[in-house]
Amino acid sequence: MAETASGSQDKSVQVKLVLLGEAAVGKSSVVLRFVSNEFQPNKEPTIGAAFLTQKCRLEDRILRYEIWDTAGQERFHSLAPMYYRNAQAAVVVYDVTKATSLEKAKSWVKELQRQANPNIVIALAGNKVDLVQSSSSSSGASSSPDSEDEADDATATPGETPGSPGEPESLRQVPREEAQAYAQEAGLLFFETSAKTGEGIVEVFTEIAKKIPIEHILAASRNNSGRPGAGGRGNNAREENVNLQDDQAKTKDACNC
Amino acid sequence: MATISTALRNFKEPSKDQLTQAFFSIPTSTTHSATIGASGSSKNGSAEEVDKMEINAVLSLGEQNVEDSYAGKLYIIAPYLAFASLDRKSVRLTIPLSTIRRVERLNARAGVYALSLLTWHGMKIIVQLTSLRPTADLFCSLLRDALKIELQKGQMKAVKGFSRTCFSEHLITEQGPGEVAEGAGAPDVVDKDADGDDVAYHGGLGLKFKFPGDPKKLREASKLKLWTTYLKSHGRNLTLLRYPQCTRLVQVGLPNRLRGEMWETLSGSIYLRYANPGFYDRLLEEHKGRTSTSTEDIEKDLHRSLPEYAGYQSEEGISALRRVLQAYSFKNPELGYCQAMNILAAAILIYMSEEQAFWLLEVLCDRLLPGYYAPSMHGTLLDQRVFEALVQRCLPMIHEHFQSVDVQLSVASLPWFLSLYINSMPMVFAFRIVDCFFCMGPKVLFQVGLAILKINGEKLLEIQDDGGFLNLMRDYFASLGDSANPKSTDPRARAITKFQELLLISFREFSIITDETIQSERKRYRSEIITSIESFSKRSSIRNLKSLGRFAKDQVGLIYDALYKAMCVVPPPPVALPPPSLIKTADGTEGEGRVETRIGAATFKVFLSEVVTWARNDKIVRNGFGSIGGLDVGLGRERVDREVADHEFLDRLFYFWDVECRGALSFQDLVSGLDGVMFNDLMENIEWFFNLHDKNKDGHLTKDEVLTLSETFLFIFRHEVGDAYLGAVSRFMTNAFEYGDALLPRPESKEGAEVPDSPPPIESNQPYLNLATFRMVVLADEILESFFETDLSASFQLHPLPELDLPLPSASTSGFLGDLWSSIATDSNKKMFNMITDELGKTIGKHQVINKPSIGRYTKLEEPKARESLLTPSMRKSVSKSSLKSSDTGITTTTGGMTSPTTTTSGTISSSGLSDLTIPTSSSSTVSRASASGGGGGTSKSLPPVPPSPIAESDKDRQADTMLQAVAKAGATVLERTPFAIDDAQDSSSEEEEDDEDEDEDDDEEDDDEEEDDEEDEDEDDEEEEEEEEINEDDQVLDEVDAFLEAHDSGLTDADKEVAKQLQTAQPLR
Repeated sequence: MAETASGSQDKSVQVKLVLLGEAAVGKSSVVLRFVSNEFQPNKEPTIGAAFLTQKCRLEDRILRYEIWDTAGQERFHSLAPMYYRNAQAAVVVYDVTKATSLEKAKSWVKELQRQANPNIVIALAGNKVDLVQSSSSSSGASSSPDSEDEADDATATPGETPGSPGEPESLRQVPREEAQAYAQEAGLLFFETSAKTGEGIVEVFTEIAKKIPIEHILAASRNNSGRPGAGGRGNNAREENVNLQDDQAKTKDACNC
Repeated sequence: MATISTALRNFKEPSKDQLTQAFFSIPTSTTHSATIGASGSSKNGSAEEVDKMEINAVLSLGEQNVEDSYAGKLYIIAPYLAFASLDRKSVRLTIPLSTIRRVERLNARAGVYALSLLTWHGMKIIVQLTSLRPTADLFCSLLRDALKIELQKGQMKAVKGFSRTCFSEHLITEQGPGEVAEGAGAPDVVDKDADGDDVAYHGGLGLKFKFPGDPKKLREASKLKLWTTYLKSHGRNLTLLRYPQCTRLVQVGLPNRLRGEMWETLSGSIYLRYANPGFYDRLLEEHKGRTSTSTEDIEKDLHRSLPEYAGYQSEEGISALRRVLQAYSFKNPELGYCQAMNILAAAILIYMSEEQAFWLLEVLCDRLLPGYYAPSMHGTLLDQRVFEALVQRCLPMIHEHFQSVDVQLSVASLPWFLSLYINSMPMVFAFRIVDCFFCMGPKVLFQVGLAILKINGEKLLEIQDDGGFLNLMRDYFASLGDSANPKSTDPRARAITKFQELLLISFREFSIITDETIQSERKRYRSEIITSIESFSKRSSIRNLKSLGRFAKDQVGLIYDALYKAMCVVPPPPVALPPPSLIKTADGTEGEGRVETRIGAATFKVFLSEVVTWARNDKIVRNGFGSIGGLDVGLGRERVDREVADHEFLDRLFYFWDVECRGALSFQDLVSGLDGVMFNDLMENIEWFFNLHDKNKDGHLTKDEVLTLSETFLFIFRHEVGDAYLGAVSRFMTNAFEYGDALLPRPESKEGAEVPDSPPPIESNQPYLNLATFRMVVLADEILESFFETDLSASFQLHPLPELDLPLPSASTSGFLGDLWSSIATDSNKKMFNMITDELGKTIGKHQVINKPSIGRYTKLEEPKARESLLTPSMRKSVSKSSLKSSDTGITTTTGGMTSPTTTTSGTISSSGLSDLTIPTSSSSTVSRASASGGGGGTSKSLPPVPPSPIAESDKDRQADTMLQAVAKAGATVLERTPFAIDDAQDSSSEEEEDDEDEDEDDDEEDDDEEEDDEEDEDEDDEEEEEEEEINEDDQVLDEVDAFLEAHDSGLTDADKEVAKQLQTAQPLR
């Protein structure tokens, strides 16, 4: 889980991260798992985008993620540039049980690579791997109630209902190798995740943290502290928030407005 | 994504009538007649003809000594009667004619023409018609007719049943029927209803699951009492008369139990529900069990809509929500379902029944929040732009700060507008904003938004990024219930909450934001928004192409533009988009589960006409004005009229490119198709052309196909000047048939040098000419060779389309008629102007129409170079002798030379039973063309377009024969035409008349009613405070309201008021 730190704020770096992907692939769940380590059913849908923050420790640095969780519905697509502009990182989510969602993810990647910040770090995350694992972490008994929760949380996939645990791999529509090959070709980080079990979620954000040119961002924000460019944004005004965060490790800082 | 929509282009600024209708919340006639469906739409249609009239009038309430009179305008908009006071906001009334029970002409002082209207609820309204007498008479007769129609439709009877569904009726009778009867002779029906069951009226989930908020704190009982009094005397539900007091009562918050009905009354959705009884249930019934992408999306959000409300933790609430959202998506499949609609629907369902909510949703999506939830969300984007502009104007410091730290307003404000603040504020507060929104219109959203920013101004100036902005807003919304002045010593000031402060500032300081402001701002930014949406969808369409072929990106952009333009001209048939229910299954393989825009053949031809020179008829029209000094030189001197050509070949191309055999082409198909021809070299082009005509793809053309191919040549060359191409086609046919026949007995021996004496009979589907032979025949001719080498590919041209260029943002921001509508208007103006100049040109004998050639390389019949030994070199020789000048003999020789193969061909063809061979260029048309141009512009007859379609009169028995003769004849006639330089024709279209967009910049109509607002504001202050006081001070609230009424200017002089007062006691005329 992401660590909230007690280290000095000087080392805290603000990173804008945007989540994109087809509707119902579990973007919100991924964020929720990362930010508050929970699985909240019946969360209100995001209108436009939800804004959350979470910190992540990387060696001696603290990264403060500003996460923009965008609405997945196709018609909100044209609003997406508003959210991914100036983003230093993006997580493009697809659903391993839905082949079409990878297609949509690819088109997001294309768009990001052409329209977004040129240095953007993009991670591809195949979510819902719990549905295609036979009995590793949570299976059998726990999977059916959980899958109901998932349905509520808009991450349901048709045909996921119990009755299929016998041959879970049949649910998989996107072979890991295929997605991985694509990710490599397109120069993306690649993960398979499960917001339900928490598998792979933290890794997504820590790997992104490693890849982000932190020094570059810091330098940029030092140089023009008032004027945030594509790089770091004014950190000074943030200090309060950071302090506030320090003693409440797991309270969520989510906003839905 | 893969869909390309031209819907935004179809936007038209509403007409004055439509604006009036919208102002009065009267259902538009289209919705009305469409939804009324089976129940007598024809009658309705006939009523539409006579139904609109307005007249100056003074309205007063028939109850004595209570209320003021107001001057304003009375409208008949059948089947409604409407009134608005001069300031358009003090008094408003919209009542269905069917609720009018009695109309009497009042016996009043001379010169005063007054009517007394008694409504279903016993409310007596007196209207004094202050226009001239004949106008008043006309109005009355219209009213009489309209009422008769309503009576015939039986609508009068519907009122009773309908009013039982309204809570207000229940509320009134709750107080005891006696009181009501006292009012003004209430209809006895109300009495009967008194003991009726109390489940009859529509209500929301709140009745069962409790309404949000503490009823005591919300002072429910007090509010209900005030409303009861108001509704008793001012009508209710269908007949509500909105006096200033009504707006005031709405502003202090509607009582929960009445809220749903007041929403539908104030928004006007009640009229839809009234006009379409049973529609909602039928709609659900008809679509039972149907699924679509919308229903899938809805399913995902059902449990995420106001989940904290008890009603949505039960199946009852969820299924109600499901039904309402699904019903709307069925009613309006184009819009379907958009996230945020679930929040709206969930919110209104707390207060109203499903049916009420359904109609309210309709009004919301259609009129109040136009385009907000459309697939492109253009309305949302537009209003965000408008809001930004208003912030810039009203709060320039905040705007500047946001600019300097690169914070985008919409990251916070977008959800405010999309969910009417319900998603942002605590519900109790959001619903009060919604109250005002339904009562006062969409401007409320802007006023509240501006007030939020203003109140938080100081803190906003400190934020550094989007995140900080959002956090600030979130904290503010969370504190709305707190005191606005916690440190004040005055307890009254301390009692004012932040929310009250917000409303005060919204309606006091931003009262300058009127509906007109919003309208004109929307107008100003519309084209900018459309441009950005279109370029966004263009970019993503191009980005999502699987292959660009050999095109550069900007070339693909030009293809897109041509496609887009074609789609504007001929929208693809709606069937191209499968009905929503099919999407799920049909597009499993499609990739993204989305529908892709595909065009039909008609759109395709328009597209081709933009790209391919021979797929259009460019007519150069000259009216000779250049030489006439008196007339406006430069205008209409020469122009190019473009027509879309039509020919069997274009259909052939369409299906050739339709590689997936869907009967429709996608953008990708077009790009790939063009890629397949535009980069070809000689051999590839020949093969491409051959394949196009090889229907069964067996590598051989049949004899029919050779003929069709020749027709294609003739089609492509139809506008060429001179006879060179015709000659080439003749030679091609001659040679093709010679070779074909020669090779027929021994299909494989290409070198067969003998002409078989009697070609064996041939089946129409028998392979006749293979690619190699075809190539040989083509290469035998210099003109054809050059056609395939360069001209064919070159005839596909990707040019920027100047006509398509949208108005530049700079032009549009200046508020000119720079929007799309005007460009259409000037387009049609242009056409009209052109027609006039044509007529003028004809009368002065200078009208001249010339077809612009598509290729225009060879203009003269040149001596073909014999590169290969042809079968009959003697014939060739005779041809070569024919010189240009002695064209007649040359042609006859050629014709003569041709006859020998022709006769044999025609024989075989007719025997093979060819039935549908068509000839593109009949001799008659070419003759007329030649004669017109031959007349040297002296004739005023304009040219008939070269018939591109099959010629019906072509005799089937002599098809091939006729065709060759036609070729020959055309060759002969064409020679007479004066050749002209092609370059002349190039830029002739530039001399179009300039668009006159000389409309003045829209003035900002603001400060008109500021004074009035100030008065109102004082009251508002008091009233807001009032709200916090105890219930027993209701009277004081009323006093305040009365004080407000007195202060209000009703636009009448004292004398007028006196007349109005007298009328209240006047007796009906006998």
